[in-house]
Amino acid sequence: MNENMVNMMNALEDQAIVDPRTGPIAMRLNKVSVAFNGRVAVRDVTFDVPANNVTALIGPSGSGKTTLLRSLNRLHDLTKGAKVSGQILLGDDDVYGGAIPATVLRSRIGMVFQRPNPFPTMSLYDNVVSGLRFNGVKKKSILDAAAEESLRAAALWDEIKDRLKAHGSTLSGGQQQRLCIARALAVEPEVLLMDEPTSALDPIATQKIEELISQLKSRVTIVIVTHNMQQAARVSDLTAFLLMGEDRAGEQIEVAPTLKLFSQPDDPRTMDYIQGRFG
Amino acid sequence: MTQLDHTSHEITSGEIRAHLRERSAATLRRRMLVSKIMTVLCWAAIVAAAVPLIALLIRLFEKGTPVLFKSGFFTQLPQQPTLFDQTNTGGVSNAIVGTIAMIVYATLASVPIGVIVGVYTAESESKFAAAIRVVASTMVGAPSILMGLFAFGVIVVQLKLGFSILAGSFALSVLMLPVLISSTEIAVRNVPTTLREAGLALGAKPSTTSLRIVLPAATTGIVTGAILAISRAVGETAPILLVIGGAYAVTWKPGDPGSALSVSMYQDVGQAYDSLKDQAWGIGLLLVLVIFVLSFAARIWAARKQKVQR
Repeated sequence: MNENMVNMMNALEDQAIVDPRTGPIAMRLNKVSVAFNGRVAVRDVTFDVPANNVTALIGPSGSGKTTLLRSLNRLHDLTKGAKVSGQILLGDDDVYGGAIPATVLRSRIGMVFQRPNPFPTMSLYDNVVSGLRFNGVKKKSILDAAAEESLRAAALWDEIKDRLKAHGSTLSGGQQQRLCIARALAVEPEVLLMDEPTSALDPIATQKIEELISQLKSRVTIVIVTHNMQQAARVSDLTAFLLMGEDRAGEQIEVAPTLKLFSQPDDPRTMDYIQGRFG
Repeated sequence: MTQLDHTSHEITSGEIRAHLRERSAATLRRRMLVSKIMTVLCWAAIVAAAVPLIALLIRLFEKGTPVLFKSGFFTQLPQQPTLFDQTNTGGVSNAIVGTIAMIVYATLASVPIGVIVGVYTAESESKFAAAIRVVASTMVGAPSILMGLFAFGVIVVQLKLGFSILAGSFALSVLMLPVLISSTEIAVRNVPTTLREAGLALGAKPSTTSLRIVLPAATTGIVTGAILAISRAVGETAPILLVIGGAYAVTWKPGDPGSALSVSMYQDVGQAYDSLKDQAWGIGLLLVLVIFVLSFAARIWAARKQKVQR
């Protein structure tokens, strides 16, 4: 176990632990399983995602973190042979209930991907407002306002306000990722899913994104997948630890307030993982 | 792991090291030799490939250049040389216009269809799409005279539209279609999945994602494919030979019989007069130059676009 982790855990232990799940809940997962062509990748995950908090999904490779995350906004819909079972609620709405179209759900649940993926043929401005346009917004005044507002929220406005017509490729990796965050925020989602958003970034860009995540909490509920336990400890309020079971399906081992999970986990496997014994 | 019996062979680490040095020196010598042989073989292959090509180009420029600079080559109609004026071959204005007309009509017809079908085969998982994919990739390699026979059967015989520029355009567009379908499909498939997912995650419909994200991102590949299809069609002789009829008049009209550079070249080669055989070299050079410019333009354009987007 490295020194940073020890210090961090000692610091964590001194603080009083509040369970964010005692407040309002943004999403509820009830026995959620995901299978690809009959092979189960994630099994029976059940926990509540507290509103206006950051929930981290951690676990070693193959534990199904990303698979679980992508089930929350129905991104598996287009994968042939993928099947999601159990229940996922967004507020009171059943994500897989069929009453709400997937496109509507996805505009309520935004997503930021592992690698920055600005649309290469669009300008910075067009990238940010693309989600609004896809959903039929045409009014220039609204698009302009949304672009500025979400770029400010993503802490990118001051850096690019003078070259909104430039292409995404003119930005650094960290800026591109913040552009993608702005693009996701522009459609005013209730929940923002982040799939290892800093894994392709350098430490300074990573730090900026982490600061941004803390700032965005007041506006949007965040669910973040991360390989980096220190990152989970730094940015999240609730942590779900997943682990690959015997049949290679990811299972939930422990879900707890981040402070508790990193200082006094209930499950010995959680302790092994956060102390770096595997993964 | 099996238990090693250290006591039976007393080999010191020094001996291992000495043996390793000796062997690695031998291995290195052998590798250097193989490397030299391979280098020679590579050069031999390059020469074998390049010499005929370069020889052809030299001959083409040597014989063709004077023809291109001959007055009237681009502007006059062909003339039949006579015993008294054996160099009177005229120009190939009718063939130039005929080729341009056919290429334009064939492009207008085949590019939209090819692109739409290519996008469909890239996006669809259906059996029908798979079948089109197989047919398209087979037809890319089909002998081009087949397209000529097909155009003859459909346009000339069945529809009774006669030997015409239209029939030639039809043959060329059938020839271009599979190339366009395959290149569009590859271009669309090469668009990273994560771009499509980004669109869906913003609440865009799958069709919106295809049209407004995937297709623009694939444009470079699609246009490059189209230019290469066009440059292939420009030089084709067989598919149009049977159906354009041949005409000593400059005409753009689809219904008229027409001429084409490749066909004129083919016909000139078979003539008795040396001046006509020379004319064929000139046409050949012109065709090669046009194809070179087209494919060069395609490359430059693709490279530029790629730079902007990455």
